[in-house]
Amino acid sequence: MGPVNNITPTATANTTFRDWFIRPNVQKWFVIVSFAIIPVFMLLLFTYYPFLKMIEFSFYNMSYTKVRGFYGLKNYIDIFSKPELFSTFRISLYYMVGALLQIGLALYFATILSFKTKGSAFYKGAMFFPFLINGIAIGFIFKFFYTRGYVLDTVLQFLGIPLESLPYWLRDTTINNWSLVATSLWKYMGQNMVLFAGAIMSVDPTLYEAAAIDGANKWHQFRFIILPSIFTVLTLNVILSITGSLSAFEPPYVITSMGGNGTATYFIKMHQTAHVQYKVGLACAMAVVLALIIIIVTVIQKLAFKYAFRNATTETKVAKKSKGAK
Amino acid sequence: MKKTLAIILSTLLVLAMVTTAFATEVPTFDGFVLGTDYTDITATIKVLSHRTDLVNDGVFGAYVEEFNKVYPNITVEYEGLTDYAEDITLRLTGGDSWGDVMMLPASLEADEFSNYYTPLGNLAEMTEIYNFINNKQFEGTVYGIPSTGNAQGIVYNKAVFEKAGITELPKTPEAFIAALQAIKDNTDATPLYTNYAAGWTMGAWDAYLGGSATGDPDFMNIKMLHDADPFSDRGDATGPYAVYKVLYDAVAAGLIEDDYTTTDWESSKVMINNGEIGCMVLGSWAFSQMVEAGPNGDDIGYMSFPITVDGVQSASAGADYCYAINAKADANQQIAAMVYVKWMTYESKFAYNEGGIPINKDGEYPALYAAFEGIEFVPDTNALDSEATLPDELNTESALSLNRGNNEKVQKIVEAAFNQSQTIDEIMANWNEAWATAQTDLGVTVE
Amino acid sequence: MGVERTPKDLFFKFLKHLSLVVCAIACLLPLISCIFAAFKSSEEFAMTSKVAPPQNWLNFENFKMFWNESGIAQGFITSIFVMVVVICISVMMGSMIAYVLDRFKFVGNSLIRNAFLLASLIPGLAMQVTIYKMMVNMNLVNSLFGYIFMMAGTDVISIYILLQYFENLPVALDESAIIEGCTYYGVFFKILFPLLRPAIVTCMILKGVGIYNEYYNANLYLQDKKLFKTVSTALYTYLGPTKSQYEIICAGVLICTAPILIIFILFQKQIYNGMTNGAVKG
Repeated sequence: MGPVNNITPTATANTTFRDWFIRPNVQKWFVIVSFAIIPVFMLLLFTYYPFLKMIEFSFYNMSYTKVRGFYGLKNYIDIFSKPELFSTFRISLYYMVGALLQIGLALYFATILSFKTKGSAFYKGAMFFPFLINGIAIGFIFKFFYTRGYVLDTVLQFLGIPLESLPYWLRDTTINNWSLVATSLWKYMGQNMVLFAGAIMSVDPTLYEAAAIDGANKWHQFRFIILPSIFTVLTLNVILSITGSLSAFEPPYVITSMGGNGTATYFIKMHQTAHVQYKVGLACAMAVVLALIIIIVTVIQKLAFKYAFRNATTETKVAKKSKGAK
Repeated sequence: MKKTLAIILSTLLVLAMVTTAFATEVPTFDGFVLGTDYTDITATIKVLSHRTDLVNDGVFGAYVEEFNKVYPNITVEYEGLTDYAEDITLRLTGGDSWGDVMMLPASLEADEFSNYYTPLGNLAEMTEIYNFINNKQFEGTVYGIPSTGNAQGIVYNKAVFEKAGITELPKTPEAFIAALQAIKDNTDATPLYTNYAAGWTMGAWDAYLGGSATGDPDFMNIKMLHDADPFSDRGDATGPYAVYKVLYDAVAAGLIEDDYTTTDWESSKVMINNGEIGCMVLGSWAFSQMVEAGPNGDDIGYMSFPITVDGVQSASAGADYCYAINAKADANQQIAAMVYVKWMTYESKFAYNEGGIPINKDGEYPALYAAFEGIEFVPDTNALDSEATLPDELNTESALSLNRGNNEKVQKIVEAAFNQSQTIDEIMANWNEAWATAQTDLGVTVE
Repeated sequence: MGVERTPKDLFFKFLKHLSLVVCAIACLLPLISCIFAAFKSSEEFAMTSKVAPPQNWLNFENFKMFWNESGIAQGFITSIFVMVVVICISVMMGSMIAYVLDRFKFVGNSLIRNAFLLASLIPGLAMQVTIYKMMVNMNLVNSLFGYIFMMAGTDVISIYILLQYFENLPVALDESAIIEGCTYYGVFFKILFPLLRPAIVTCMILKGVGIYNEYYNANLYLQDKKLFKTVSTALYTYLGPTKSQYEIICAGVLICTAPILIIFILFQKQIYNGMTNGAVKG
């Protein structure tokens, strides 16, 4: 706000205005305000205002069009007391396991593709491309893929497994969540892999040579050179995947027609609460709970990583500093 | 482009307002004569429809063309919504500029109608003229007129039934399951195709709860509200329990399609036409679609749901989606919309062409209703004025959303039956509990 | 790296290649089977194995049918237009706010940073009820501008990528420019912005893919499907929940995916580099 007071005395002549304007402090505030105002306004408009409204709605018994009354905490109590709501987080566990598997695979392939391998460009491309495909299209692709006697079954029969002993990928409640998790893994594994590979590429190759002289094997290389250097990107992706699996939505939405057959995740349930049962207040409360859980889980993970890798972080910091100097 | 359109439209509107002096007052539905009144009215109206198929393949366009022979200056534009029930509700919350005519969504409760829609007339008077007119009314004022009417029954393939050796159409759940078993044993056809994956085809089972299951017009909107356990086994193979038990038993006995998760609505029509499917539990509207789906239209038959109450078989019958008119639009727009809706109900033969029960009582019934000879149509009566919104409230509060798109709960019956994870009695007990809790929460007296 | 090749080495090498081949097949199989199906007539589709190549690779009937009836051509135009505009806006906005947050210490700096961070954790879809009302009040429903406004306004990821990238641009650059008489605006537009290229490429990829594939908001806010069709809405409204002829579905899926595939093949290197440069450092 500082510069505003100065306008009157200096704005009389252009030259003096320029003198005034290029003064760092004045300029600084001009830049800050003019550059930040639109993004911050958009953030408030599209995230915080709706979020506050959502919190407000969560205390009411209301449909889209009608407020039936103030409910206090009843919506929140319902979430935790009605088993069909909160228990859907159980489904998220499948996605979490899938996410960890996905990161493991991505790490594995990123490591082997970072060293000279025949056809690595092709493999990289094949793994990454699914990330670019339209979610609606993925829904269609995998319905086709999993239908009884279609693609997957044909391939497995080809490998000698008779059709009778194959499960119904989307019908069997023991396996259908895994089928859906697999589609999510299919889509995101390659993207993680490319990120990890990029980080591994930035490792100074002389480090490997030095390590080899010291008698380190491949595992040691991975553990003591590669892992620390991709620490940041790895933690970031673990956090994103875990929080992502809490709000998993797309696979059941597009493949099992809105989470039929025991595949409804918490997010799907929330969607149904709002759109099928018209309990908008309850759905808002569910959203608030989800947001809180995500925030808590994120914080816990951050702290856990900080603690578990407190040595690794100092290593990367040192590595980064030396890189920055160059 | 939108702006210029808006300017042109509003100019047209103003012109229309000036030229037709009487256009300022919106008449009731029966307050004018089609083809005589308002023939010089000029307007462009937008109709939101759930029938994307009819919007896309030009069927509605053909109706509009006919309409324009009488009312050349009313331009009718259709917009089809793919996930109608969901999208329309969100649009309603967004204000008054959604268009001129919509199919009144189930998400609105009766006491909200007047906030959005033009009153069409008095219930008592309109009941004399129209079928199912009480579907969307509040305190004696009608806000929605049905686009067509449906009776609830089962569409089946006569050739398959014959081949299976079924000589008489089943009238009880027991006979029905036996018939399905005969189909399984004697033919290659799928006895009962659930269409599980489409979702709404499962929610459609709710439609049998009233007339078909109880024969009692007061059941759905009056008695059930005060019934502590409407889903309990009545012991005589009637009532809601019997309806869902038919589904449960058919699934448990392996009388449905092989993989229900990948069923497909469009091809199910072709399959029943070919004789690959024995029957499907769908409203009468489905009949004409099954007939037209292939060369064997003559094989398709229609029968009532196999429940007999005290020796009498009845069929639920009721309104399909109802047209409602935007009360916040200009009077001129409302009149044009009213004219069009009235024309669609009276003149267009839309209901007849779609295999529906006519809306005007003297209308013609399509041939399929011969299947209901000796079976009484039982439409639901409306709720008492003192508890006009109670059916909706209980429905919402219990989260059962009967007849309101909660397909999931019926899908769960299929899953439970298939996996043998729950018995039908357990499922129905859960529903009873949800219902009873909702009654307590809403302070409803229970008998 | 090993000089000697023991049987153990060879065995691991074999395992490595095996895992790569299996993974590549798993990644490509769903797409390849889709390609096969798209070239089959409906009889052929019904009769033949789902992983058998089509008899006639020149049978474009399914593609023609989808192209003619779905209005996908219009969808491409709309999607690409929206994509270009939104990318421009969000890259501009993102780099400006990132510049301010990274280069200046001021009251509220960390507040704004945390506000953006927190925003990325709130599940956005959940707030649609309020956002929809708001959009209606601003008269932005059923307008391409409104859709663009909303897609550009809810972008946190670009800001993050750019912010991280800024941290790696030495402050010395700014300082020397200021000594030469540049204003802060000059520093940003003349010196730093051009250096952001790798990060901008990342934003373009992520944002571009996101918008090209976005269905939910396009369906909700671009209501008049005759006027506004994006790739996703055209695909979904045509194929929809009730359509089921897989040979046509597959053709539709391929038509929508083809442009992405072509861009991917042409710019593979840049895409990988962009992804890693923008997202990894920091």
